[in-house]
Amino acid sequence: MIRFLVRRCSQALVVLLLVSIIIFILLHLLPGGPARAILGTHATPTTIAAFNRENGLDSPLPVQYWHWLTGVLSGNLGFSYVLNQPVSSVLAQRLPKTAFLAGISVLLAVLIAVPVGLYQAVRRARLDDYVVTTVTFVLYSTPAFWVALLLIDVLAVRLHLFPAEAPQGAFSALFGDPSALVLPVATITLVTIAAYSRYVRSSVLDELAQDYVRMARSKGAGLRVVLLRHVLRNALSPVVTLLGVSLPFILSGTLITEQVFNYPGVGLLIFNAAEQQDYPVMLGVVLVVGAATVVGSLLADIVYAILDPRVRASVNGEAGR
Amino acid sequence: MTAAIPAAGASGPVLRVDGLDVDIRLRRSVVHAVRDVSLEVAAGETVGIVGESGCGKSTLGLALAGLLPSSAVTRGSIRVGDREVTGVGERELRAIRGAEVGIVFQDPMTSLNPTQRIGAQVGEALRLHRGASREAARAAAADMLDLVGLPRPREQLDRFPHELSGGMRQRAVIAAALICEPKVLIADEPTTALDVTTQAQILELFDRLQQELGMATLLITHDMGVVAGRASRVFVMYAGREAETGPTAEVFGSAKHRYTAALLDSILRMETPRHAALYTIPGRPPDLTADLAGCPFAPRCPAASPICGTTFPPAAGADGPGAAGGHWWHCHHPVSEPRPAPHATEPSR
Amino acid sequence: MSLENMTAALGGADHPGADGPVPAEAPGRVRLRAFADNRLAVAGLAVVIALTLFAFIGPLLYHTDQVHTRLAAETLRPGPGHPLGTDNVGYDQLGRLMVGGQTTLEVAFGAAAVAVLLGVVWGATAGYLGGFADGLMMRVVDALLAIPALFLLIFLATVFKPSVLMLIIVVGVTAWLVPARLVRGEALSLRNREYVQAARTMGVRPPTIIFRHIVTNSIGTILVNATFQVADAILLVAALSFLGLGISPPATNWGAMLSDGLNYTYSGYWWLTYPPGIAIVLTVVAFNLIGDGLRDAFGLDTRRG
Repeated sequence: MIRFLVRRCSQALVVLLLVSIIIFILLHLLPGGPARAILGTHATPTTIAAFNRENGLDSPLPVQYWHWLTGVLSGNLGFSYVLNQPVSSVLAQRLPKTAFLAGISVLLAVLIAVPVGLYQAVRRARLDDYVVTTVTFVLYSTPAFWVALLLIDVLAVRLHLFPAEAPQGAFSALFGDPSALVLPVATITLVTIAAYSRYVRSSVLDELAQDYVRMARSKGAGLRVVLLRHVLRNALSPVVTLLGVSLPFILSGTLITEQVFNYPGVGLLIFNAAEQQDYPVMLGVVLVVGAATVVGSLLADIVYAILDPRVRASVNGEAGR
Repeated sequence: MTAAIPAAGASGPVLRVDGLDVDIRLRRSVVHAVRDVSLEVAAGETVGIVGESGCGKSTLGLALAGLLPSSAVTRGSIRVGDREVTGVGERELRAIRGAEVGIVFQDPMTSLNPTQRIGAQVGEALRLHRGASREAARAAAADMLDLVGLPRPREQLDRFPHELSGGMRQRAVIAAALICEPKVLIADEPTTALDVTTQAQILELFDRLQQELGMATLLITHDMGVVAGRASRVFVMYAGREAETGPTAEVFGSAKHRYTAALLDSILRMETPRHAALYTIPGRPPDLTADLAGCPFAPRCPAASPICGTTFPPAAGADGPGAAGGHWWHCHHPVSEPRPAPHATEPSR
Repeated sequence: MSLENMTAALGGADHPGADGPVPAEAPGRVRLRAFADNRLAVAGLAVVIALTLFAFIGPLLYHTDQVHTRLAAETLRPGPGHPLGTDNVGYDQLGRLMVGGQTTLEVAFGAAAVAVLLGVVWGATAGYLGGFADGLMMRVVDALLAIPALFLLIFLATVFKPSVLMLIIVVGVTAWLVPARLVRGEALSLRNREYVQAARTMGVRPPTIIFRHIVTNSIGTILVNATFQVADAILLVAALSFLGLGISPPATNWGAMLSDGLNYTYSGYWWLTYPPGIAIVLTVVAFNLIGDGLRDAFGLDTRRG
């Protein structure tokens, strides 16, 4: 187990490093170089030269990378001239909100998808399986923004049940009007359930085909015992891995949802930043979000290792069956 | 066909199969997996069921344990003790499985739940059928593990399957199957997945367990060596049907059915001259979805004649068909002449 | 519901012929038949073919002007002359659906092709090489995967001018990671097969080994993933169009049509949203069904790919 953990953590570190390198490359992909991108198209050559000197942009690339990386690690993610504040403080305001939105949605999605997927597997090829599968299929295949707007149309505009816009302001304001969170959370949750329940269904079906299920039945175990005592535990471990792997996709979905509901998270932030060509913010968001998913994935793998006794003991533990 | 006569044993046979047919419905066809099989096993007796892959012996084993899929249609009767297994509801089947009939499958690694401890899996049947508490089941499991020859049984209780070797796992599986002391033990290829040394140990274990627990044992295998010297009677299956059955020594010593003879001929012996062509049975087993009249082995049989293609041979035997403990076969042209030494210098027939 | 039903539908060891000799039939035909037996998959294929014909052949039969706007005819209800009405600048909606379909399908197929090509080359090479090279190549994949696609795409869209080709490349470049992972997994297990080792000892050059042995034997996984890539690409392009990062008019795609139409929800112009929306859902569902069918036909593990 320890060996597995060490291995996974060192892998994660390498990945984080690579993420930072990618961001750094992106920084230098900008037309006219980072200076022009940050200062804007009206900057004069003198200003640019001064900027370059100040920020060490005339040194060789690896040196620049090192400076940049050390800066990042000490919390300096640059300065947004558009928003007139350090990128890190903008992120500090917005990141918790996105984390909250995504977190609640994923939690709900898992809580609903597992029983639904289990039910689908048990009722395989029966009418209810087909109905549920069809519904989840269609949900899965519908663009998230349409789902969001349909929800708004029906629940907010016509039935006036929930507000169409998310609460603005500080993190605490989110809890001021919980009903305003319902639709954004519902959007992400619905789309995620569709994917997760399919996965749970096939995971459970795969487990049911295993020999140990036959063995349990041969001892006289009935449906409930087999499902609860044997299958569920084994079918859920891959779901944990799924959680880790699906984080980037969930965050992409969150971005759309934030845009639709005007929810003040990092998704909306990067979208607005794109419109205003605020490159420091864009890059900062990409860096932080990338790092967050690496960490999230690592955590999921650790949980998986705890759940699966084979990984706990194995020498060559590679997470994921 | 074969008449069923109560066989030897204090109170009659523990396991009795009468005219069993098993059809498996597939999407486009029906597979006639088992056709008109009858056999009996008495307490303390071991019967071997022998045949190549796909001959229906595994399906027979599953039928006996009540584990057939719902796409299976059975006709005929299976009695365990005095309980009927065919045509019975799921609830009654559950009561029979594990308590009256224990079954051991081929691959011990996949038969065990990888995330559950050994002790819990071995004791499971006891908790299901006798309502034993967790501690009682644990204690019984430890005893059972000791009985099957697992060293330091109490320590093994909390281990996971991947921590045990193949032989130990198979012993654990056997312990799990026997913990309720079922009347019948079905062992489906119990040693195929194990290395040769372990095979011998497991087979010795079966012998010992049978002596101590006195259950009727059905040894299903394609390996005749497993059966020889261990089973008192052997039942040779081909294409879902009974080919030949009788006391093991007799069947192996003077096989009458052409298929049995051919099987025995394919076994390599020490006396085989070097560079002799290995004998193999030409052709392949028939398609079980076809409705076969006549003897299924006919297309591959060197002694086949027109009648073999039209009529399934009735049981024939030295002591009269169906005689208890007797030797009988279904062949129009049984082997009569003493067979030549299995490997002359002929090329494959 | 009974447990046997579940295990029965799974076949496996219970099937009597499972371990017995099977009449030899070419694997390709077996898979074709398995696919053809899957009614949903076949239905999906039919839908895809129908929509492709609709998009590409349709305009040859049903001529509309998709270049010049006619503001006088804006947002007309479906009726004579315009079976699906017109949009906010007067384009005939049915014709627009066809033209939009062309772009949607082109980008989706193109992006999937780019993704699969890149992914297969990268993954097969990494898996074949093994060791440190494999580790490094896969860490790169992990790093790119860690950045959510939309975030990356928003950034890239500010740098590169959107056009159909750009969309194909950009979407493909974010999508190649999953096939890379999959093929690398296959390569890892295949490289130890005897025929690969034999090829190596015979001195066959690595690229040949990779393509002739590893890739051809992973074709099932690759195909299955390719169909899912197409489905995902359609949704991704729709999302990009919604965010305003798609291509500019008069070119259009279903995603853009849908998101533009959604601006008029409250005016009740349902023909602006439901036709493209349903087209998207239908196509994505169809590709998913095909992918599932292929997966079953190839007998692949349902938890990968």
